Amino acid sequence: MTADAPILSARDVRKRYGDVVALDGVSLEVRRGEVVCLIGPSGSGKSTLLRCLNALEAVDGGTVAFEGRDIHAGADDARLVRRRMGMVFQNFELFPHLTVLRNVTIGPTTVLKLGTGAADARATALLAKVGLADKAAVHPAALSGGQQQRVAIARALAMEPALMLFDEPTSALDPETIGEVLAVMKGLADDGMTMVVVTHEMDFARRVADRVVVFDRGRVIEVGPPKQIFEAPHATRTRDFLSHLGWHGESIDIGIKEKK
Amino acid sequence: MNLQWNVVFDNWRIFLDGALMTVFLTVTTMALALPGGLLLAFLRLSPYRAVRLAATCFVEFFRATPLLLQIYWVYYVLPAAFGIQLDAITTAILGLTCNISAFNSETFRAGILSIRKGQWNAGLALGMSKGQVMGRIVLPQAVMRVLPALASTWVSLFKDTSLVAIISVPELSYVSLRLRAESYRILEVLTAVAVIYWLLGYPQAKLVDWIHRRWKIVE
Amino acid sequence: MDMNFQPLFDSWFFLLKALGTTILLSVLSMLLGFVVGVVVGTLRTYGGRLVNALLGFYVDTMRAIPLLVVLVWMFFAFPILFGVRVDSMTAAVVALGLHLGAYVGEAIRAGLTSVRRGQMNAALALGMSRVQAIRTIILPQALIRMLPPLGSLFTIAIKDSAIASVIAVPELLRQSQTLAGQTFRPFEIYTSAMFVYFLLCYPVARGTDALYRRLAHLGSS
Repeated sequence: MTADAPILSARDVRKRYGDVVALDGVSLEVRRGEVVCLIGPSGSGKSTLLRCLNALEAVDGGTVAFEGRDIHAGADDARLVRRRMGMVFQNFELFPHLTVLRNVTIGPTTVLKLGTGAADARATALLAKVGLADKAAVHPAALSGGQQQRVAIARALAMEPALMLFDEPTSALDPETIGEVLAVMKGLADDGMTMVVVTHEMDFARRVADRVVVFDRGRVIEVGPPKQIFEAPHATRTRDFLSHLGWHGESIDIGIKEKK
Repeated sequence: MNLQWNVVFDNWRIFLDGALMTVFLTVTTMALALPGGLLLAFLRLSPYRAVRLAATCFVEFFRATPLLLQIYWVYYVLPAAFGIQLDAITTAILGLTCNISAFNSETFRAGILSIRKGQWNAGLALGMSKGQVMGRIVLPQAVMRVLPALASTWVSLFKDTSLVAIISVPELSYVSLRLRAESYRILEVLTAVAVIYWLLGYPQAKLVDWIHRRWKIVE
Repeated sequence: MDMNFQPLFDSWFFLLKALGTTILLSVLSMLLGFVVGVVVGTLRTYGGRLVNALLGFYVDTMRAIPLLVVLVWMFFAFPILFGVRVDSMTAAVVALGLHLGAYVGEAIRAGLTSVRRGQMNAALALGMSRVQAIRTIILPQALIRMLPPLGSLFTIAIKDSAIASVIAVPELLRQSQTLAGQTFRPFEIYTSAMFVYFLLCYPVARGTDALYRRLAHLGSS
């Protein structure tokens, strides 16, 4: 695999739930270090595609290849791929019966077979990086939504993934706490992490994404740099969708704090 | 190992009589324990502390002690202590009824309490009296909520009737154990009675599952 | 009615040993029931349709047949069928444990299915196998959630231990019967026995309720 080849490539992915077609031949390529944002109306298939990218969902057609490996070939392939990818969920999905520190170390110790000392050290550093070093000993129930999501990001990073998947990471958060999570994500992007982000935060997509992919009814209707998508979209549906969200081309500043 | 299954088939009448007694005990007990449980539930919700306390003691006691011991207690203690002499079947029904009433009262109480306060308020706000609200709004809803639990209790009761065999009530277990003792065909008779209980109990268990699914509480 | 508790005091050691047997029997059958229940509940939830149906048959059988019948069969019929000798305590522990295990299995199954699907997804996304995910993430949460029903099942284990008296296990009920027969004091002896069982069961039920209240936040996802 050459250095230019995409690290993740989905080709003609199809998925249905009973009679409902969720994905109707979606193709996507992600290069190392790229930040790709998936936007579109609810039910357009963005989250479904994301879950197909780490084989949490099976596909009915098409292929997904990560670092050259077909991830849907078998259960072992899926598991190996998931170690190299991190996922952050809309509902955080922290493990409530474990402390914050243990939430971050359980992946490395159970899956990577790291020793406790090394895992703890890694976890402590990551918690410091997301600004929650002092919460290591508490349980998730004691944290706010934004804090939980930051722990969830640390948990995914603890596996030292080559690629991070974000499934509407701020949709379940209060407006005040959205900023702190987006700041962490921007920091990751600045550090060169490859990211695929399903989001409704258009300002984040505009500022941080290298490419934006627009979904509608199970298909990709437009792909391009943020400048194209937000200022001069080619597809009519893209324009409809964005204007429906209140984006008319001017900057809506939601106060992303600068990374410290 | 020499099995003689004809012992089972020749004595089918004995098994049938035993099974009928089991059914009789179950039906009679539940018929008494439904109003009994309802009464106890209301007593436990009474505004008078002494009444509440007495009812709670009764319920907690019958729930936290073995049914077998309760049956013995009623059978041996009532004559010795209070001079009341009852026959075995009546004693059995009395013991079973007290026991099941206690469990039913918990079920009814939980059902009544689970109706959201808003329902009460809505009824009262319409100008209904407390009695009307209880009778027309709360109780009907509570009945739907308690049906699954009552169904489970019924199945438990059906199995619990086996315990009255120890005071020689001729229900299914007792007659089977006596047949085993008289015929010495231990394996055949014991397996047969297990199968008969299974045939009777399995459909009931499945019915209870259906009731639980049908009346699942959806808020 | 004249009451005389003297026979009780005279035989206090006899009854104390009986109490010990009751506790031993309850604990052993609880342990067996718990192990069986966790295995059955987990396999039924994650093992596929055939396994679910087969184990469902076991569970429904235990729901249909009275414990008394299972116990008597285990003690009298099992030795004939398999040509082995079974002592009364073993028969009691096995019968009680298997019977209880069916109900524990159902409680575990309810607990496992009540944990959100997202938790399994999050665990899988970290690269865990399904077995690892079940063991470290789903099962602990399920057990915490199921503390109230498991608590009531454990009080049932204590009460059901009394049924072992019919195969002459020297537990509390059996020895109370013996004593009552010797001393002709059924009221005092059986009433005292009732109190002892109450003192065993009531704290177990309340204790698990209290434990659940303290741990509930660890089980909610």
